[in-house]
Amino acid sequence: MAVKGMKLSSVCLLLLYLISTVLGGRDFYKILGVSKSASIKDIKKAYRKLALQLHPDRNQDDPHAQDKFADLGAAYEVLSDQEKRKQYDTYGEDGLKEGHHGSHGDIFSSFFGDFGFMFGGNRQTANRDIPRGNDIILDLEVTLEEVYSGNFVEVVRNKPVSKEAPGKRKCNCRQEMRTTQLGPGRFQMTQEVVCDECPNIKLVNEERTLEVEIEQGVRDDMEYPFIGEGEPHIDGEPGDLRFRIKVLKHPVFERRGDDLYTNVTISLVEALVGFQMEISHLDGHKVNIVRDKITKPGARLQKKGEGLPNFDNNNIRGSLIVTFDVDFPKEQLDDQQKDGISQLLKQASSQKVYNGLQGY
Amino acid sequence: MQAVIMGQLRVISVLLDFILLSAMCAGRDVDSSYVTCGSLVKLMNTRHSVRLHSHDVKYGSGSGQQSVTGVDSADDANSYWRIRENPNGICQRGEPIRCNQAIRITHLKTGRNLHSHHFSSPLSNNQEVSAFGENGQGDDLDVWAVQCSGIFWERDDAVRFKHVGTEVFLSITGEQYGHPIRGQREVHGMSLPNHHNYWKVMEGVFIQPSNDPVQHDEL
Repeated sequence: MAVKGMKLSSVCLLLLYLISTVLGGRDFYKILGVSKSASIKDIKKAYRKLALQLHPDRNQDDPHAQDKFADLGAAYEVLSDQEKRKQYDTYGEDGLKEGHHGSHGDIFSSFFGDFGFMFGGNRQTANRDIPRGNDIILDLEVTLEEVYSGNFVEVVRNKPVSKEAPGKRKCNCRQEMRTTQLGPGRFQMTQEVVCDECPNIKLVNEERTLEVEIEQGVRDDMEYPFIGEGEPHIDGEPGDLRFRIKVLKHPVFERRGDDLYTNVTISLVEALVGFQMEISHLDGHKVNIVRDKITKPGARLQKKGEGLPNFDNNNIRGSLIVTFDVDFPKEQLDDQQKDGISQLLKQASSQKVYNGLQGY
Repeated sequence: MQAVIMGQLRVISVLLDFILLSAMCAGRDVDSSYVTCGSLVKLMNTRHSVRLHSHDVKYGSGSGQQSVTGVDSADDANSYWRIRENPNGICQRGEPIRCNQAIRITHLKTGRNLHSHHFSSPLSNNQEVSAFGENGQGDDLDVWAVQCSGIFWERDDAVRFKHVGTEVFLSITGEQYGHPIRGQREVHGMSLPNHHNYWKVMEGVFIQPSNDPVQHDEL
Protein backbone atom coordinates (compact mmCIF):
# COMPACT_ATOMS: atom_id res chain seq x y z
CA MET A 1 0.00 0.00 0.00
CA ALA A 2 2.72 2.37 0.99
CA VAL A 3 4.64 1.56 -2.16
CA LYS A 4 1.65 2.26 -4.37
CA GLY A 5 1.06 5.56 -2.58
CA MET A 6 4.64 6.54 -3.08
CA LYS A 7 4.57 5.65 -6.75
CA LEU A 8 1.49 7.75 -7.29
CA SER A 9 2.87 10.76 -5.47
CA SER A 10 6.16 10.58 -7.31
CA VAL A 11 4.33 10.36 -10.62
CA CYS A 12 2.24 13.37 -9.63
CA LEU A 13 5.37 15.24 -8.63
CA LEU A 14 7.01 14.35 -11.93
CA LEU A 15 3.96 15.57 -13.84
CA LEU A 16 3.87 18.82 -11.85
CA TYR A 17 7.56 19.37 -12.48
CA LEU A 18 7.17 18.77 -16.20
CA ILE A 19 4.17 21.08 -16.38
CA SER A 20 5.95 23.79 -14.46
CA THR A 21 9.01 23.64 -16.67
CA VAL A 22 6.90 23.79 -19.80
CA LEU A 23 4.71 26.61 -18.49
CA GLY A 24 7.51 28.43 -16.72
CA GLY A 25 9.61 28.72 -19.85
CA ARG A 26 13.35 28.23 -20.16
CA ASP A 27 15.68 27.92 -17.21
CA PHE A 28 18.01 30.83 -17.92
CA TYR A 29 20.28 30.05 -14.99
CA LYS A 30 20.82 26.54 -16.31
CA ILE A 31 21.45 27.79 -19.83
CA LEU A 32 24.22 30.05 -18.57
CA GLY A 33 25.43 27.48 -16.07
CA VAL A 34 25.32 29.84 -13.11
CA SER A 35 23.70 29.67 -9.69
CA LYS A 36 20.61 31.68 -8.78
CA SER A 37 22.76 33.99 -6.68
CA ALA A 38 25.33 34.64 -9.41
CA SER A 39 26.71 38.17 -9.59
CA ILE A 40 26.49 40.24 -12.75
CA LYS A 41 30.17 39.59 -13.25
CA ASP A 42 29.64 35.82 -13.12
CA ILE A 43 26.82 36.13 -15.65
CA LYS A 44 28.92 38.15 -18.08
CA LYS A 45 31.81 35.74 -17.72
CA ALA A 46 29.56 32.72 -18.34
CA TYR A 47 27.98 34.36 -21.39
CA ARG A 48 31.31 35.23 -22.92
CA LYS A 49 32.67 31.74 -22.49
CA LEU A 50 29.56 30.00 -23.82
CA ALA A 51 29.05 32.44 -26.71
CA LEU A 52 32.41 31.42 -28.12
CA GLN A 53 31.56 27.75 -27.76
CA LEU A 54 27.98 27.81 -29.00
CA HIS A 55 28.24 30.23 -31.94
CA PRO A 56 26.56 28.59 -34.97
CA ASP A 57 29.59 29.34 -37.18
CA ARG A 58 31.58 27.12 -34.86
CA ASN A 59 29.01 24.36 -34.75
CA GLN A 60 28.08 23.98 -38.40
CA ASP A 61 27.13 20.30 -38.06
CA ASP A 62 24.79 20.80 -35.11
CA PRO A 63 21.17 21.30 -36.25
CA HIS A 64 20.22 22.78 -32.88
CA ALA A 65 23.09 25.27 -32.80
CA GLN A 66 20.92 28.27 -33.77
CA ASP A 67 18.37 27.48 -31.06
CA LYS A 68 20.98 26.94 -28.37
CA PHE A 69 22.66 30.20 -29.35
CA ALA A 70 19.33 32.06 -29.31
CA ASP A 71 18.57 30.62 -25.86
CA LEU A 72 21.93 31.85 -24.64
CA GLY A 73 21.26 35.37 -25.92
CA ALA A 74 17.82 35.45 -24.32
CA ALA A 75 19.23 34.19 -21.01
CA TYR A 76 21.89 36.88 -20.95
CA GLU A 77 19.49 39.63 -21.95
CA VAL A 78 17.22 38.85 -18.99
CA LEU A 79 19.74 37.96 -16.29
CA SER A 80 22.07 40.88 -17.02
CA ASP A 81 19.27 43.42 -16.47
CA GLN A 82 18.36 43.96 -12.82
CA GLU A 83 14.68 44.67 -13.48
CA LYS A 84 14.15 41.82 -15.93
CA ARG A 85 15.98 39.40 -13.66
CA LYS A 86 13.71 40.27 -10.72
CA GLN A 87 10.64 39.70 -12.86
CA TYR A 88 12.01 36.42 -14.17
CA ASP A 89 12.88 35.17 -10.68
CA THR A 90 9.34 35.85 -9.51
CA TYR A 91 7.21 34.96 -12.51
CA GLY A 92 9.35 32.83 -14.81
CA GLU A 93 9.96 33.54 -18.47
CA ASP A 94 6.28 34.04 -19.26
CA GLY A 95 6.07 36.66 -16.55
CA LEU A 96 8.42 38.93 -18.43
CA LYS A 97 6.67 41.98 -19.78
CA GLU A 98 7.13 42.67 -23.45
CA GLY A 99 9.02 40.32 -25.70
CA HIS A 100 12.76 40.36 -26.10
CA HIS A 101 14.08 43.53 -27.60
CA GLY A 102 17.41 43.89 -29.25
CA SER A 103 18.89 41.19 -31.42
CA HIS A 104 21.34 38.71 -30.02
CA GLY A 105 23.75 40.19 -32.54
CA ASP A 106 24.00 43.38 -30.47
CA ILE A 107 24.79 41.47 -27.30
CA PHE A 108 27.40 39.37 -29.07
CA SER A 109 29.02 42.45 -30.63
CA SER A 110 29.40 44.16 -27.29
CA PHE A 111 31.67 41.29 -26.20
CA PHE A 112 33.51 40.62 -29.43
CA GLY A 113 33.08 43.53 -31.84
CA ASP A 114 31.31 44.00 -35.13
CA PHE A 115 32.68 41.11 -37.08
CA GLY A 116 33.07 38.89 -34.07
CA PHE A 117 32.10 35.82 -35.97
CA MET A 118 35.51 35.77 -37.58
CA PHE A 119 37.05 33.57 -34.97
CA GLY A 120 40.62 33.27 -33.93
CA GLY A 121 41.08 37.03 -33.86
CA ASN A 122 42.85 36.87 -37.21
CA ARG A 123 41.29 38.02 -40.40
CA GLN A 124 41.00 35.41 -43.13
CA THR A 125 43.81 35.68 -45.66
CA ALA A 126 41.28 36.21 -48.46
CA ASN A 127 40.59 39.64 -47.01
CA ARG A 128 44.16 40.86 -47.49
CA ASP A 129 43.13 42.59 -50.73
CA ILE A 130 40.46 44.70 -49.05
CA PRO A 131 41.95 47.87 -47.57
CA ARG A 132 41.60 48.10 -43.81
CA GLY A 133 41.24 51.06 -41.50
CA ASN A 134 43.75 51.62 -38.73
CA ASP A 135 43.89 49.37 -35.68
CA ILE A 136 43.68 50.99 -32.27
CA ILE A 137 45.73 49.44 -29.49
CA LEU A 138 44.75 50.76 -26.10
CA ASP A 139 46.53 49.91 -22.83
CA LEU A 140 44.13 48.79 -20.13
CA GLU A 141 45.53 49.09 -16.62
CA VAL A 142 44.33 46.37 -14.28
CA THR A 143 44.92 45.79 -10.59
CA LEU A 144 46.21 42.58 -9.09
CA GLU A 145 42.82 42.22 -7.36
CA GLU A 146 41.23 42.09 -10.80
CA VAL A 147 43.75 39.52 -12.01
CA TYR A 148 42.87 37.36 -9.00
CA SER A 149 39.06 37.61 -9.13
CA GLY A 150 38.43 38.64 -12.70
CA ASN A 151 36.35 41.67 -13.71
CA PHE A 152 34.55 43.34 -16.58
CA VAL A 153 35.28 46.82 -17.89
CA GLU A 154 32.49 48.61 -19.71
CA VAL A 155 33.60 50.92 -22.41
CA VAL A 156 31.56 53.20 -24.67
CA ARG A 157 32.92 53.18 -28.20
CA ASN A 158 31.98 56.18 -30.31
CA LYS A 159 33.25 55.71 -33.83
CA PRO A 160 32.60 56.91 -37.39
CA VAL A 161 30.64 54.39 -39.42
CA SER A 162 30.32 54.33 -43.19
CA LYS A 163 26.79 55.00 -44.36
CA GLU A 164 25.43 55.18 -47.86
CA ALA A 165 24.76 58.67 -49.13
CA PRO A 166 23.06 59.88 -52.30
CA GLY A 167 25.18 60.46 -55.36
CA LYS A 168 28.58 59.19 -56.37
CA ARG A 169 32.11 59.87 -55.27
CA LYS A 170 35.50 59.47 -56.78
CA CYS A 171 37.48 56.45 -55.63
CA ASN A 172 40.60 54.47 -56.59
CA CYS A 173 42.22 57.66 -57.85
CA ARG A 174 45.50 57.09 -59.62
CA GLN A 175 47.95 58.80 -61.90
CA GLU A 176 47.90 57.82 -65.54
CA MET A 177 49.90 58.94 -68.53
CA ARG A 178 47.85 60.49 -71.32
CA THR A 179 49.13 61.09 -74.77
CA THR A 180 47.71 64.11 -76.59
CA GLN A 181 48.45 65.01 -80.20
CA LEU A 182 49.61 68.57 -80.64
CA GLY A 183 50.03 68.38 -84.37
CA PRO A 184 51.07 66.00 -87.16
CA GLY A 185 53.79 63.79 -85.66
CA ARG A 186 53.94 65.81 -82.44
CA PHE A 187 52.74 64.21 -79.25
CA GLN A 188 52.78 65.25 -75.66
CA MET A 189 52.73 62.94 -72.62
CA THR A 190 50.97 64.35 -69.60
CA GLN A 191 50.14 62.94 -66.22
CA GLU A 192 46.51 62.93 -65.33
CA VAL A 193 44.61 61.89 -62.26
CA VAL A 194 41.97 59.34 -63.18
CA CYS A 195 39.29 58.16 -60.77
CA ASP A 196 36.59 55.54 -60.74
CA GLU A 197 33.04 56.20 -59.64
CA CYS A 198 31.84 54.58 -56.46
CA PRO A 199 28.68 54.83 -54.38
CA ASN A 200 28.88 57.83 -52.12
CA ILE A 201 29.71 57.22 -48.49
CA LYS A 202 29.44 59.54 -45.54
CA LEU A 203 30.78 58.98 -42.04
CA VAL A 204 28.27 59.05 -39.20
CA ASN A 205 29.24 58.71 -35.54
CA GLU A 206 27.68 55.76 -33.75
CA GLU A 207 28.00 54.56 -30.20
CA ARG A 208 27.91 51.17 -28.58
CA THR A 209 28.91 49.68 -25.23
CA LEU A 210 31.65 47.08 -25.23
CA GLU A 211 32.39 44.61 -22.44
CA VAL A 212 36.05 43.87 -21.93
CA GLU A 213 36.72 40.87 -19.73
CA ILE A 214 39.69 40.83 -17.40
CA GLU A 215 40.08 37.08 -17.14
CA GLN A 216 41.48 35.49 -14.03
CA GLY A 217 45.22 34.99 -14.26
CA VAL A 218 45.59 37.34 -17.25
CA ARG A 219 49.19 38.29 -17.97
CA ASP A 220 50.87 41.52 -19.00
CA ASP A 221 50.56 42.41 -22.70
CA MET A 222 47.80 39.92 -23.41
CA GLU A 223 45.34 41.45 -25.88
CA TYR A 224 41.57 41.41 -26.14
CA PRO A 225 40.52 42.26 -29.70
CA PHE A 226 37.20 43.70 -30.77
CA ILE A 227 36.97 43.03 -34.46
CA GLY A 228 35.81 45.95 -36.58
CA GLU A 229 35.80 48.48 -33.74
CA GLY A 230 38.90 50.34 -34.93
CA GLU A 231 39.02 53.16 -37.46
CA PRO A 232 36.87 52.91 -40.59
CA HIS A 233 38.26 52.83 -44.11
CA ILE A 234 36.18 54.56 -46.73
CA ASP A 235 37.10 52.04 -49.41
CA GLY A 236 37.22 48.94 -47.23
CA GLU A 237 36.82 47.41 -43.81
CA PRO A 238 37.25 48.96 -40.40
CA GLY A 239 40.31 48.06 -38.36
CA ASP A 240 40.21 46.44 -34.93
CA LEU A 241 40.22 47.82 -31.40
CA ARG A 242 42.58 45.87 -29.16
CA PHE A 243 42.88 46.24 -25.41
CA ARG A 244 46.35 45.41 -24.13
CA ILE A 245 46.48 44.41 -20.48
CA LYS A 246 48.94 46.22 -18.25
CA VAL A 247 49.05 44.88 -14.69
CA LEU A 248 49.70 47.63 -12.16
CA LYS A 249 52.21 47.29 -9.32
CA HIS A 250 50.62 46.30 -6.01
CA PRO A 251 51.64 47.73 -2.62
CA VAL A 252 51.58 44.34 -0.87
CA PHE A 253 52.02 41.57 -3.41
CA GLU A 254 54.58 41.00 -6.17
CA ARG A 255 53.64 38.71 -9.02
CA ARG A 256 55.99 36.16 -10.53
CA GLY A 257 54.10 33.97 -12.96
CA ASP A 258 51.29 32.46 -10.92
CA ASP A 259 53.11 32.94 -7.60
CA LEU A 260 52.70 35.90 -5.29
CA TYR A 261 55.52 37.24 -3.11
CA THR A 262 55.12 39.36 -0.02
CA ASN A 263 57.28 40.52 2.90
CA VAL A 264 56.46 40.69 6.57
CA THR A 265 58.51 42.49 9.24
CA ILE A 266 58.18 40.88 12.67
CA SER A 267 59.51 41.95 16.05
CA LEU A 268 62.61 40.40 17.61
CA VAL A 269 60.47 38.77 20.30
CA GLU A 270 58.16 37.22 17.71
CA ALA A 271 61.15 35.99 15.75
CA LEU A 272 62.49 34.17 18.82
CA VAL A 273 59.30 33.13 20.52
CA GLY A 274 56.86 32.50 17.67
CA PHE A 275 53.66 34.25 16.57
CA GLN A 276 50.37 33.95 14.75
CA MET A 277 49.17 36.35 12.07
CA GLU A 278 46.73 36.81 9.20
CA ILE A 279 47.45 38.21 5.75
CA SER A 280 44.53 39.79 3.89
CA HIS A 281 44.49 38.36 0.38
CA LEU A 282 43.47 40.08 -2.86
CA ASP A 283 39.82 39.12 -2.48
CA GLY A 284 39.71 39.84 1.23
CA HIS A 285 40.01 36.27 2.52
CA LYS A 286 42.54 35.73 5.31
CA VAL A 287 45.64 33.59 5.08
CA ASN A 288 46.61 32.23 8.48
CA ILE A 289 50.26 31.98 9.43
CA VAL A 290 51.42 30.28 12.63
CA ARG A 291 55.05 30.03 13.74
CA ASP A 292 56.10 28.29 16.92
CA LYS A 293 59.76 27.95 16.10
CA ILE A 294 62.47 30.58 15.76
CA THR A 295 62.09 32.63 12.56
CA LYS A 296 65.39 33.78 11.04
CA PRO A 297 65.59 37.04 9.08
CA GLY A 298 65.15 36.13 5.40
CA ALA A 299 63.21 32.99 6.23
CA ARG A 300 60.62 32.00 3.62
CA LEU A 301 57.29 30.35 4.08
CA GLN A 302 55.30 28.92 1.17
CA LYS A 303 51.52 28.69 1.21
CA LYS A 304 50.43 26.45 -1.63
CA GLY A 305 47.26 27.38 -3.47
CA GLU A 306 47.35 30.97 -2.24
CA GLY A 307 48.88 32.42 -5.39
CA LEU A 308 47.11 33.57 -8.56
CA PRO A 309 44.84 31.37 -10.64
CA ASN A 310 46.52 30.06 -13.76
CA PHE A 311 45.19 31.74 -16.92
CA ASP A 312 44.76 28.50 -18.86
CA ASN A 313 43.22 26.55 -15.99
CA ASN A 314 41.67 28.65 -13.26
CA ASN A 315 41.56 25.68 -10.92
CA ILE A 316 45.33 25.56 -10.68
CA ARG A 317 46.78 28.18 -8.37
CA GLY A 318 50.30 29.27 -7.67
CA SER A 319 51.73 29.73 -4.19
CA LEU A 320 52.08 32.65 -1.84
CA ILE A 321 55.67 33.02 -0.67
CA VAL A 322 56.17 35.09 2.49
CA THR A 323 59.64 36.37 3.35
CA PHE A 324 60.24 37.48 6.92
CA ASP A 325 62.59 40.14 8.15
CA VAL A 326 63.17 41.06 11.77
CA ASP A 327 62.89 44.47 13.36
CA PHE A 328 65.54 45.03 16.00
CA PRO A 329 64.69 47.17 19.03
CA LYS A 330 65.31 50.86 18.38
CA GLU A 331 66.03 51.95 21.91
CA GLN A 332 69.36 51.01 23.42
CA LEU A 333 69.27 48.48 26.27
CA ASP A 334 70.25 49.46 29.77
CA ASP A 335 72.78 47.41 31.79
CA GLN A 336 70.14 45.41 33.60
CA GLN A 337 68.50 44.37 30.33
CA LYS A 338 71.85 43.49 28.85
CA ASP A 339 72.62 41.22 31.79
CA GLY A 340 69.20 39.66 31.64
CA ILE A 341 69.51 38.84 27.95
CA SER A 342 72.99 37.37 28.35
CA GLN A 343 71.61 35.14 31.12
CA LEU A 344 68.58 34.06 29.09
CA LEU A 345 70.30 33.24 25.84
CA LYS A 346 73.35 31.60 27.45
CA GLN A 347 75.54 32.15 24.39
CA ALA A 348 79.32 32.20 24.60
CA SER A 349 81.04 35.20 23.07
CA SER A 350 81.68 34.33 19.43
CA GLN A 351 82.97 36.36 16.46
CA LYS A 352 83.50 34.67 13.12
CA VAL A 353 85.49 36.69 10.61
CA TYR A 354 85.01 35.83 6.94
CA ASN A 355 84.80 37.26 3.41
CA GLY A 356 81.12 37.98 2.83
CA LEU A 357 81.42 39.63 -0.58
CA GLN A 358 83.28 36.86 -2.47
CA GLY A 359 83.68 38.94 -5.63
CA TYR A 360 80.26 40.65 -5.77
CA MET B 1 0.69 75.72 16.05
CA GLN B 2 2.80 72.62 16.60
CA ALA B 3 0.74 70.65 14.09
CA VAL B 4 1.36 73.27 11.42
CA ILE B 5 5.13 73.18 12.00
CA MET B 6 5.14 69.39 11.93
CA GLY B 7 3.14 69.45 8.72
CA GLN B 8 5.61 71.86 7.12
CA LEU B 9 8.58 69.83 8.29
CA ARG B 10 7.04 66.74 6.80
CA VAL B 11 6.59 68.46 3.44
CA ILE B 12 10.19 69.65 3.52
CA SER B 13 11.52 66.21 4.36
CA VAL B 14 9.51 64.64 1.52
CA LEU B 15 10.84 67.26 -0.85
CA LEU B 16 14.40 66.65 0.32
CA ASP B 17 13.97 62.90 -0.13
CA PHE B 18 12.65 63.47 -3.63
CA ILE B 19 15.56 65.70 -4.55
CA LEU B 20 18.05 63.25 -3.08
CA LEU B 21 16.49 60.32 -4.87
CA SER B 22 16.36 62.05 -8.22
CA ALA B 23 19.91 63.27 -7.75
CA MET B 24 21.04 59.72 -7.09
CA CYS B 25 19.09 58.44 -10.07
CA ALA B 26 20.39 61.22 -12.27
CA GLY B 27 23.86 60.44 -11.02
CA ARG B 28 23.58 56.84 -12.16
CA ASP B 29 22.26 57.60 -15.66
CA VAL B 30 24.72 60.38 -16.33
CA ASP B 31 27.78 58.22 -15.50
CA SER B 32 28.47 57.32 -19.11
CA SER B 33 28.34 60.93 -20.23
CA TYR B 34 31.55 61.91 -18.43
CA VAL B 35 35.05 61.95 -19.80
CA THR B 36 36.98 59.55 -17.60
CA CYS B 37 40.59 58.91 -16.73
CA GLY B 38 42.24 56.53 -19.17
CA SER B 39 39.78 57.23 -21.98
CA LEU B 40 40.88 57.61 -25.56
CA VAL B 41 39.37 60.64 -27.32
CA LYS B 42 39.47 62.80 -30.41
CA LEU B 43 39.25 66.50 -29.59
CA MET B 44 37.53 68.83 -32.01
CA ASN B 45 37.95 72.59 -32.01
CA THR B 46 34.39 73.86 -32.12
CA ARG B 47 35.15 77.08 -34.01
CA HIS B 48 37.12 75.52 -36.86
CA SER B 49 35.74 71.95 -36.85
CA VAL B 50 39.15 70.30 -37.02
CA ARG B 51 40.50 67.57 -34.76
CA LEU B 52 43.64 67.78 -32.63
CA HIS B 53 46.27 65.68 -34.37
CA SER B 54 49.91 64.75 -34.24
CA HIS B 55 52.29 62.68 -36.35
CA ASP B 56 55.95 61.94 -36.84
CA VAL B 57 56.66 65.35 -38.41
CA LYS B 58 58.82 67.87 -36.58
CA TYR B 59 58.50 71.64 -36.56
CA GLY B 60 60.97 73.30 -38.93
CA SER B 61 61.40 76.19 -36.51
CA GLY B 62 60.88 76.97 -32.84
CA SER B 63 61.73 73.96 -30.69
CA GLY B 64 62.02 71.46 -33.54
CA GLN B 65 59.86 69.05 -31.56
CA GLN B 66 57.04 66.90 -32.93
CA SER B 67 54.30 69.09 -34.40
CA VAL B 68 50.66 69.22 -33.32
CA THR B 69 48.03 70.31 -35.86
CA GLY B 70 44.31 70.38 -36.60
CA VAL B 71 42.96 68.08 -39.32
CA ASP B 72 39.65 67.86 -41.18
CA SER B 73 39.33 64.08 -41.36
CA ALA B 74 37.30 62.15 -38.82
CA ASP B 75 38.84 58.73 -39.42
CA ASP B 76 42.54 59.23 -38.78
CA ALA B 77 43.93 57.12 -35.95
CA ASN B 78 46.63 59.76 -35.42
CA SER B 79 43.99 62.04 -33.94
CA TYR B 80 43.53 59.86 -30.87
CA TRP B 81 44.74 61.16 -27.51
CA ARG B 82 44.71 59.49 -24.12
CA ILE B 83 43.45 61.42 -21.08
CA ARG B 84 45.83 60.73 -18.19
CA GLU B 85 46.52 61.94 -14.68
CA ASN B 86 49.15 64.60 -14.07
CA PRO B 87 52.62 63.34 -13.15
CA ASN B 88 52.64 62.04 -9.55
CA GLY B 89 48.86 61.96 -9.60
CA ILE B 90 46.76 58.85 -9.30
CA CYS B 91 43.77 58.18 -11.40
CA GLN B 92 41.36 55.34 -10.98
CA ARG B 93 40.53 53.77 -14.32
CA GLY B 94 37.14 55.14 -15.33
CA GLU B 95 37.08 57.95 -12.78
CA PRO B 96 35.37 61.07 -14.22
CA ILE B 97 37.67 64.05 -14.74
CA ARG B 98 36.73 67.08 -12.63
CA CYS B 99 36.56 70.62 -13.99
CA ASN B 100 39.87 72.39 -13.24
CA GLN B 101 41.64 69.07 -12.78
CA ALA B 102 45.22 68.94 -14.05
CA ILE B 103 45.71 66.24 -16.71
CA ARG B 104 48.11 65.12 -19.39
CA ILE B 105 46.94 64.53 -22.94
CA THR B 106 49.04 61.80 -24.53
CA HIS B 107 49.16 61.08 -28.25
CA LEU B 108 48.25 57.42 -28.73
CA LYS B 109 50.42 56.51 -31.72
CA THR B 110 53.65 58.26 -30.72
CA GLY B 111 53.38 58.21 -26.91
CA ARG B 112 54.23 61.91 -26.66
CA ASN B 113 52.39 64.38 -24.41
CA LEU B 114 50.65 67.59 -25.51
CA HIS B 115 53.19 70.20 -24.47
CA SER B 116 53.80 73.93 -24.64
CA HIS B 117 56.72 76.25 -23.90
CA HIS B 118 58.14 79.69 -24.67
CA PHE B 119 58.76 79.21 -28.38
CA SER B 120 56.89 80.95 -31.18
CA SER B 121 54.48 79.09 -33.38
CA PRO B 122 55.57 79.02 -37.04
CA LEU B 123 52.60 80.66 -38.78
CA SER B 124 50.95 83.04 -36.33
CA ASN B 125 53.71 83.85 -33.80
CA ASN B 126 51.58 82.69 -30.92
CA GLN B 127 53.02 80.16 -28.46
CA GLU B 128 54.14 76.86 -29.93
CA VAL B 129 52.30 73.68 -28.92
CA SER B 130 54.21 70.44 -29.51
CA ALA B 131 54.18 66.76 -28.61
CA PHE B 132 56.96 65.90 -26.18
CA GLY B 133 58.35 63.01 -24.18
CA GLU B 134 58.72 59.24 -24.62
CA ASN B 135 56.21 56.54 -23.70
CA GLY B 136 54.01 59.08 -21.96
CA GLN B 137 56.83 60.44 -19.77
CA GLY B 138 57.74 64.08 -20.39
CA ASP B 139 58.04 66.97 -17.97
CA ASP B 140 56.03 69.57 -16.04
CA LEU B 141 55.14 71.47 -19.18
CA ASP B 142 52.89 68.57 -20.23
CA VAL B 143 50.20 69.53 -17.71
CA TRP B 144 46.91 71.15 -18.77
CA ALA B 145 43.87 72.13 -16.70
CA VAL B 146 40.42 71.30 -18.06
CA GLN B 147 38.21 74.37 -17.79
CA CYS B 148 34.51 73.71 -17.76
CA SER B 149 31.48 74.87 -15.84
CA GLY B 150 30.04 72.29 -13.52
CA ILE B 151 31.68 69.58 -11.45
CA PHE B 152 32.81 67.00 -13.99
CA TRP B 153 33.96 67.14 -17.60
CA GLU B 154 30.90 66.03 -19.54
CA ARG B 155 31.22 64.62 -23.03
CA ASP B 156 28.76 67.17 -24.39
CA ASP B 157 30.67 70.12 -22.94
CA ALA B 158 32.81 72.50 -24.94
CA VAL B 159 35.84 72.96 -22.68
CA ARG B 160 39.05 74.94 -22.65
CA PHE B 161 42.51 73.58 -21.93
CA LYS B 162 44.70 75.95 -19.97
CA HIS B 163 48.42 75.21 -19.93
CA VAL B 164 49.44 75.08 -16.28
CA GLY B 165 53.08 76.06 -16.84
CA THR B 166 52.59 79.12 -19.10
CA GLU B 167 48.88 79.94 -18.60
CA VAL B 168 47.95 79.94 -22.30
CA PHE B 169 44.85 78.34 -23.81
CA LEU B 170 45.02 75.62 -26.46
CA SER B 171 43.72 77.36 -29.61
CA ILE B 172 43.36 77.34 -33.37
CA THR B 173 42.85 80.54 -35.34
CA GLY B 174 42.76 79.03 -38.84
CA GLU B 175 46.27 79.45 -40.32
CA GLN B 176 47.03 76.56 -42.67
CA TYR B 177 50.27 74.76 -43.40
CA GLY B 178 51.59 73.99 -46.87
CA HIS B 179 53.50 70.97 -48.04
CA PRO B 180 54.00 68.31 -46.60
CA ILE B 181 50.98 68.73 -44.30
CA ARG B 182 48.87 70.79 -46.66
CA GLY B 183 45.58 71.99 -45.26
CA GLN B 184 46.35 71.14 -41.65
CA ARG B 185 45.78 74.01 -39.23
CA GLU B 186 48.25 75.44 -36.79
CA VAL B 187 47.56 74.65 -33.11
CA HIS B 188 49.05 77.13 -30.66
CA GLY B 189 48.67 78.68 -27.21
CA MET B 190 46.98 82.03 -26.73
CA SER B 191 46.76 84.00 -23.50
CA LEU B 192 43.23 85.31 -23.96
CA PRO B 193 40.24 83.03 -23.61
CA ASN B 194 37.91 83.44 -26.60
CA HIS B 195 35.83 81.39 -29.02
CA HIS B 196 38.94 79.95 -30.68
CA ASN B 197 39.85 77.84 -27.69
CA TYR B 198 36.79 75.68 -27.18
CA TRP B 199 37.18 71.92 -27.68
CA LYS B 200 34.75 69.03 -27.59
CA VAL B 201 35.37 65.27 -27.40
CA MET B 202 34.12 63.41 -30.44
CA GLU B 203 35.00 59.83 -31.33
CA GLY B 204 36.75 57.71 -28.78
CA VAL B 205 36.79 54.82 -26.34
CA PHE B 206 35.25 56.05 -23.10
CA ILE B 207 36.10 53.82 -20.15
CA GLN B 208 33.34 53.46 -17.56
CA PRO B 209 34.06 53.06 -13.87
CA SER B 210 34.26 49.41 -12.85
CA ASN B 211 32.83 47.64 -9.88
CA ASP B 212 35.17 46.32 -7.23
CA PRO B 213 35.93 42.80 -8.47
CA VAL B 214 35.06 41.31 -5.10
CA GLN B 215 31.76 43.13 -4.77
CA HIS B 216 28.76 40.96 -4.06
CA ASP B 217 25.68 42.27 -5.87
CA GLU B 218 22.67 42.93 -3.73
CA LEU B 219 19.51 41.65 -5.37
